[in-house]
Amino acid sequence: MGNVMYAYITHPDTAPDFTKPPTFDPHVGFPNGRKERTIQATREELDAAGVPLDRRDYCVDYFLKLLRCRDQNFPRTVSSCHHEKHDYEVCQYEDYVLRMKEYEREKRLKEREKRIQEMQENEELGD
Amino acid sequence: MATLRGAASLPKIIRPFIARRGLSATAVLSNWNKDWKPGPFPKTPEERAAAAKRYGLRVEDYNVYPDDGMGYGDYPKLPFASGDSKDPYEDWDIPELKRNYGEPLHALADIIGEDRWDANANPRYSYLDMFLTLAGFLTTITVIYILTLPYPLFLPVMPKQYPFNDLYVENGGSPETEPSIRHYTFEAVEETD
Repeated sequence: MGNVMYAYITHPDTAPDFTKPPTFDPHVGFPNGRKERTIQATREELDAAGVPLDRRDYCVDYFLKLLRCRDQNFPRTVSSCHHEKHDYEVCQYEDYVLRMKEYEREKRLKEREKRIQEMQENEELGD
Repeated sequence: MATLRGAASLPKIIRPFIARRGLSATAVLSNWNKDWKPGPFPKTPEERAAAAKRYGLRVEDYNVYPDDGMGYGDYPKLPFASGDSKDPYEDWDIPELKRNYGEPLHALADIIGEDRWDANANPRYSYLDMFLTLAGFLTTITVIYILTLPYPLFLPVMPKQYPFNDLYVENGGSPETEPSIRHYTFEAVEETD
């Protein structure tokens, strides 16, 4: 739990708020910007498939594929759809890794901001 | 022939047992619960001696509950000894109850059995000590819980991202005030000339 020590004891000023989305411009450090996250399914498709709200994340395409596979292969839903299930779980894992990366990016940008601010204050004192 | 002669004399033998068997002599009535009820409070030494004999006690061992309206008549006041304080190695007639045949039961025998209350317990720590120890432990845990409420443990991740502007309309927002929220991967857009 190094992050807890970091956030509450050693660096409470530069610790990101894990309850709120990132605060910096998402394109900082990317000259041409970053690729946007997209999904292929539309709202109408999701409503028609009855996908619950907590499944409507950026892996919903894989989830729809899994639902379709289960529907077509009933009752052999486990043996016939384990590839689709694995794809969906890999997508969820990568989504979690992305959230970790966002946290680390927010943390480093906050530290960078603080470093620049201290440098400017030192220059003002030197003059 | 001898067998027939014996059968012919059988009614003569058993008739008295049938004829003389009145209602008051049946096994049911002579063991009715009113026969087990204690007698009235003994007042004279003769009554005390009769009551002690009735319960199988010596007169000097016989003591009685006070006749204050909450007493038990002539039922003997026995030592208040629960099952745990009786010797487990003694050769009891009924080892499960640690009781001998014909031994009078205590008036509260149903509550001071081994499966209920040990009235003569001598605990290593007093009950006040036990209560204070438990209360102190629970108080410490509660205080730690309250003091650390503003500092939740968390994993170093940002909130989960959802499409359709973080499901604004799906979660009850109005389509007119829907914000435009974009999420990005960590792949850089390649330069296009």
